[in-house]
Amino acid sequence: MITCEEFFAEFADYLENRVSAEVRQELELHLSQCRACQVLYDSSRKTVKIVTESSSFELPLSVSDPIIERVMAKLRTDRS
Amino acid sequence: MSFLKEIRLEDKFGPFLASQMAFGFIPNLLRAQSLLPRVIEAQAMLEDAARLREGSIPRVQRERILLSIAADRKDTYCIAMDSKVLSSLGAADGQIDDFLNDHRRADLSARDLASLQFCLKLARHAPSVSSEDVEALRACGFEDEAILEAVVVTALAVYRCTLSVGLGPGPDFGPRKLASTRIDPPREGVLHSLLPDIHQTARRKGPYVPAPYLSPKTFAPFGVVQKSHGFIPNFFRAQTLRPDLLEAELEAVGRVLLPEDVLTRVQKECILLVVSAANLNSYCVAVHCNILRGLGMPSEDGDQIAVNHHESNLTESEKALLDFAVKLGTRGSEFSCDDVVKLQTLDFTDEQILECVVVTALNNFANTVQMGLGIEPDFAPPPAFEENKVHLSGAALTPTQSEGAVYLVDTLQDADAELVAQAQAGKLEAFEELVRRHTQLIYRTLMAILGNPVDAQDAMQDTLLSAFKHISGFQGRAKFSTWLVSIARNTALQRLRSRKNIESLDEGECNEEGDFRPRQVRAWQDNPEQSHSKSEIRQLVETGILALPAKLRVVVMLRDIEQLSTDEVARQLGLSVPAVKTRLLRGRLMLREWLSPHFTASTKGAVQ
Repeated sequence: MITCEEFFAEFADYLENRVSAEVRQELELHLSQCRACQVLYDSSRKTVKIVTESSSFELPLSVSDPIIERVMAKLRTDRS
Repeated sequence: MSFLKEIRLEDKFGPFLASQMAFGFIPNLLRAQSLLPRVIEAQAMLEDAARLREGSIPRVQRERILLSIAADRKDTYCIAMDSKVLSSLGAADGQIDDFLNDHRRADLSARDLASLQFCLKLARHAPSVSSEDVEALRACGFEDEAILEAVVVTALAVYRCTLSVGLGPGPDFGPRKLASTRIDPPREGVLHSLLPDIHQTARRKGPYVPAPYLSPKTFAPFGVVQKSHGFIPNFFRAQTLRPDLLEAELEAVGRVLLPEDVLTRVQKECILLVVSAANLNSYCVAVHCNILRGLGMPSEDGDQIAVNHHESNLTESEKALLDFAVKLGTRGSEFSCDDVVKLQTLDFTDEQILECVVVTALNNFANTVQMGLGIEPDFAPPPAFEENKVHLSGAALTPTQSEGAVYLVDTLQDADAELVAQAQAGKLEAFEELVRRHTQLIYRTLMAILGNPVDAQDAMQDTLLSAFKHISGFQGRAKFSTWLVSIARNTALQRLRSRKNIESLDEGECNEEGDFRPRQVRAWQDNPEQSHSKSEIRQLVETGILALPAKLRVVVMLRDIEQLSTDEVARQLGLSVPAVKTRLLRGRLMLREWLSPHFTASTKGAVQ
């Protein structure tokens, strides 16, 4: 079986679902027998899900609109 | 003798000795590369692993494959040499003539005929090879390892023919004439008529042969690749059935591509990129675009070279070098000594020309292996290349029949293109619409770099004004959104500089990842997001992201918040994909540490 370190070397791709069937098989075999990596994988997956679904840093229209309006107004006056 | 200067190397030079042992002579093809002994070593390693070493395909059959590809390309040098080798293995002259002139008369087994057809098809026009062809081989009893060998032997044949065309070595033996009545093997494989039901099996995606996992810890060559590339390309992973072959390939790549004593690494990568593009090999185009980005070339420049290097900002002599490589790599029958002389008059040294020939040959080797094994991409190729690529899949063009380099229309398919054109013509409404489409992307880029909303909103205004001011200079080489992000990034960086504490966003050492190890080891709840309100979670995530180092923050912001693909993030930030992957993982793991106390099973529901 592969070691934790080898597992970790493939971890980024595994998390992104970008490993081949053969590599996946090795990783999953490791996961089935290593509690620490299991926790790491499970919590990392949940982290990505939480971050992705958090709609963080959304600029509300009430803020972006005035900025855009200001810029457009300036461009119009510059032109005339 | 050959097109280029030669110097005398001693007969006891390793590869010469090895040839003497294996063939009974030192081929002029090797002597023609004497200016750079390291490239002779590269060829010797490939020959040893793919041609000479015991494998699943018998040696005689491998020689037949090499010979019939040489004959198909009418490569007189290789025909003469390979016939000689075949006869030294016991084939009678009459048999060889029969084989060359019509290999149906050569009394081959169905199995040998099948592999010959497969290899010819792959060598003639690799993009037309599909899983059906591989399945046809399997139906004739070929096992995975033999399929891999067939592909690599074909690649070796292509490598040698490219060298022989580019270097023009003097013949080792009197020429062996092809009869004028020679019957070219049929263009489309006879396999399908032999095995009608193969036609019905649906085309599968690659990779066509399974590849057992090899760890970079225990398989040293992978350790080296991991270190130099930051990851192990699928190209190498797909060949793990034969670690010895892989090792030879990696050694050869190391000798041809890595030294910078003749051509620079960037020049060599450009050669690989344009010839791969002319061979319609998306996989290799994507890889070399990424490597160029990692070497510091802005992504739009690399993409432009892939699409049409004549329109790129390379120098005229660099363009001539690439023209030379494309002609050699895709239209060998038109290539002549004049092409070499042309480069010499442009002040290229013989060493440089030699290296260009070898890099082109190595490229064709790699393109052949990739197509033959159906190796899946590591990265997305540049959109401009993909969208304009002429798909010839299934067509049975030979390299000589094709129109050579397929130059691709260099307009980008960008959903914003029409509005951009209007905005460039001065239409303010069009500009406003463009801005509204990308508000969040711009804001998040600014926020990622500046780290506070007031600054980000100020910078937003500057970004938009600057975008309008420069829009006429936007040439459509990259997507409009990429261009906008680059303006936002510059605006934000300018602000940062005036603020003193500069955090570099550049490529480069992010080497703390070696010692960055996850610390939190407690399991998380089953549905962590249900234990907190949406706004609590958003608050937590925003605080966590703002606490990340800027380098990681930008990547996490674009990938996980703005949800661009990894390739797109690399493109937007001008980073290589491996660099993005490394940073993304680090950022995600740091966020995991930060979020852990809030979501572990035992602290269910408790904030803080």
